[in-house]
Amino acid sequence: MRQDYHPLAWLAWATAAAVVALMTLNPLYLILLGLAVLASYRVISLRSPTARQWGAFLKAGLLIWAITIPFNAVMSHYGRYVLFRLPADWPLVGGAITLEAVAYGFARGLSLVLLLMIFATFNSAVDTARLLRRMPAFLYLAGMITSIALAFVPQMISALQEIREAQRVRGHRFRTIRDLLPLIMPLLTTGLERAMQLAESMEARGFGGSAASISRLLDYTLKGMTLAGLLAVLAGLFARSYWSRQAWIGILLTAGGLLLMAAAFWVQGRRVRRTRYRHDLWLSRDTLMVASSAAAAAGILIARALNRAALFYYPYPPYSVWPTFDWRLGLLYALFMAPAWLLPSARTAQPDQYPLPREPL
Amino acid sequence: MIHFRRVSYWYPDSPEPVLRDVTFDIEEGEFVLVIGPSGSGKSTLLRCINGMIPHFYGGTFAGAVRVAGLDPVELGPKGMAHLVGFVLQDPEAQFVVDTVEDELAFAMENQGLSMTLMRKRIEEVLDQLSIAHLRHRRISSLSGGEKQRVAIASVLTLQPKVLVLDEPTSQLDPQAAEEVLTVLQKLNEDLGLTILLSEHRLERVAQYADRILWVPAPGRPPALGAPAEILAQVDLTPPLITLAKAMGWRPLPLTIKQARPFARRAGLVGQPSLQDEESVIRRRPPNAAPQDSLTVDMRDVWYTYPGTDQPALRGIHLQVNRGEFLALMGRNGSGKSTLLKHIIGLLQPQRGQVLVAGHDTRRHSVEELARFVGYVPQNPGALLFQDTLQDELEFTLRNHGMPPRDYTPLLRALGLEPHLERYPRDLSVGERQRAALAAILVVEPQVILLDEPTRGLDYPQKRSLAGFLKEQKAQGRTVIMSTHDVELVAECADRVVILGEGEVIVDGPARKVMTSSMIFSSQVNKLLRDDRFLTVEDVLASIPPAEVGQ
Repeated sequence: MRQDYHPLAWLAWATAAAVVALMTLNPLYLILLGLAVLASYRVISLRSPTARQWGAFLKAGLLIWAITIPFNAVMSHYGRYVLFRLPADWPLVGGAITLEAVAYGFARGLSLVLLLMIFATFNSAVDTARLLRRMPAFLYLAGMITSIALAFVPQMISALQEIREAQRVRGHRFRTIRDLLPLIMPLLTTGLERAMQLAESMEARGFGGSAASISRLLDYTLKGMTLAGLLAVLAGLFARSYWSRQAWIGILLTAGGLLLMAAAFWVQGRRVRRTRYRHDLWLSRDTLMVASSAAAAAGILIARALNRAALFYYPYPPYSVWPTFDWRLGLLYALFMAPAWLLPSARTAQPDQYPLPREPL
Repeated sequence: MIHFRRVSYWYPDSPEPVLRDVTFDIEEGEFVLVIGPSGSGKSTLLRCINGMIPHFYGGTFAGAVRVAGLDPVELGPKGMAHLVGFVLQDPEAQFVVDTVEDELAFAMENQGLSMTLMRKRIEEVLDQLSIAHLRHRRISSLSGGEKQRVAIASVLTLQPKVLVLDEPTSQLDPQAAEEVLTVLQKLNEDLGLTILLSEHRLERVAQYADRILWVPAPGRPPALGAPAEILAQVDLTPPLITLAKAMGWRPLPLTIKQARPFARRAGLVGQPSLQDEESVIRRRPPNAAPQDSLTVDMRDVWYTYPGTDQPALRGIHLQVNRGEFLALMGRNGSGKSTLLKHIIGLLQPQRGQVLVAGHDTRRHSVEELARFVGYVPQNPGALLFQDTLQDELEFTLRNHGMPPRDYTPLLRALGLEPHLERYPRDLSVGERQRAALAAILVVEPQVILLDEPTRGLDYPQKRSLAGFLKEQKAQGRTVIMSTHDVELVAECADRVVILGEGEVIVDGPARKVMTSSMIFSSQVNKLLRDDRFLTVEDVLASIPPAEVGQ
């Protein structure tokens, strides 16, 4: 039995959490949501063998937060509660340092950190490649290419490191753009050599398998449809920004183009006979997680629609620096802890399901 | 099972054929070892079996190949996928997705198998290769040996009749190679899979092979025969067989066990002297040698890689004198590469001090240190980028602000003279390794650092590398190399340091360390168990020439 959730359940959770995080600046709700996300991350990072560390994301977020608060405090001198004053003759930063400015920086920064936390949790819980494999059949090739590219990037980064070291020990110094040549050339050739090997290994395993042959006419028709669809989408986007009055023209063009491309992909996808291996089972706790996230998001959105002030927070006068708190809304935000609750506790897990050693980030 | 009839093949734009009139037959269930010097056409020959040649590479193909009655030239690699499993050399470059289970499913998805069948086959393959514990792991987190086992599993899911492996262990250390070869032997014996394996490590596989296919050179006809018969006429052999041939032992023994009766009869098996094991492993006291002759002096060096909590080096004390030839040994991850990178200054100690010819590596840049310390990285491909070998050498000289100099002696010593105008990345593995050596050594550094220099080299290439390094030492240079290659150490090192978990476990004269060790000992020493004998030369030098061959 696996110890995590279905990728689609995670996708639903992350989307809902991100939406409600963007709904408010109220620090109390944000903190509550932050704790819920943290709890979910902790649980999943301890259980799932494929979970990754979120260290880098979080560090970046906290750094931004640590900068936002003092920056906002010294730049905005507006507010009723003066904490202390900097000499007025200091350019820009001189003047009153107010509680409101600190509170605003705190809330702004917090909402950013929160979004990063949600993304990081999603990223550490879900294997991106596995999510890509769930693409509908006609997008199979696109998903395949993306997943290869994703696996290729870390390889290339380590190759780059190796090449940089190798050129440094030859006494090469990196000063101007031209000095990058000894770095780029081996990287390109290494990349090409790897790509060739990968292609060989894919072909030897029957990739692109038993495509039924089609007539040349159909082949050209399909290519034509893809191209026409792409052009229509571009024209639609262009039309929307130009003739903003007649928005429907643009929308029609875009939709028509997308439809055309989808049809071409679909016909093409049907030609190749292939199956997909999916070993993720949809469990009842996945349903519960999706249901609770959806319910929480819906509840919060409805509350906001009914009463715009419910989630509103703006510390500067004429509004209050002290956030309001409604326990019902608080409860809805806390529902995002669902991933942490729904897993069986670590003690009941089988010994062989304990996390395997993870790669360092 | 596999039949070649007068197969000839020319790569595109190549006037000379790699294969010329190749004809042989391989029976079902055979384990065939394919040997030959690098660049002789082994890989080309193997790629004919699944149609990769000519489908993937183009070129001109003549003759006929039949695999289980099918024609790979007609069907191409895609059509042969269900019949022939193909595993490549580089464990890094053959994975499509990034978790083990999904990778195993890839080939079956391409064949359009049903979900239930895929699940069943995956379970079976996981057990066959004993990798069930890896099923949820990310491929990037696996070791080299585990990666190769996953690569083998990923082709076995189609239940092929033939498994073809192109030097699957050449990039692996001995332990990992052992894992892979054991698995292959089991597959051959239990499932009756026909296996074609090209491999340099003959000492490990020669005994399992039913027959050996010897590919002597491009365009020359290969020979297929019983292992002992083929090895008797080939000169790329492990030390044990070289010794057996020199002594005229018949039938040719393939393992140490088989060779022991011969050695006993020849009166060569000595009494292992009960030397004091303590005295061997005792580490050198710090500052044993006079200060001025020290080239490398590491004092209490500690280093932890960022993002990890285990130190990679823990309190290393190491002094290497001018003119010494030191071999660093130890398992993967024991800190060998980390130690070498400290000497060239690519890494700097977090605690302790590294002095190179009296220079503190923390006060000098890598570029400065590189003038008297030459570091040859593991992968020569990381270094070479110019259009010709000559440009590579001049690039290094220019970097150091040195005038052009006459490097022909260096190239002659490395056997690279004919390749001066060639594109370095087109050279063979061994030549590339030597080209990288030349590009580093052209400034004549006093200290030479080598990281795993024999990876992917065959016996003659190893021998020529060993000869070159010994010559460098004779010229008064200091050589420090990290290696798993026991035979190379036996042949040229005069001091061995064994690392374990970032600490110096053993530090002593090579002969003493190697003759008292169970695993860091050469084949000849394992056979004869005599302190005097580490290499074939040692043995041959000890007996009067008249007796050799009797």
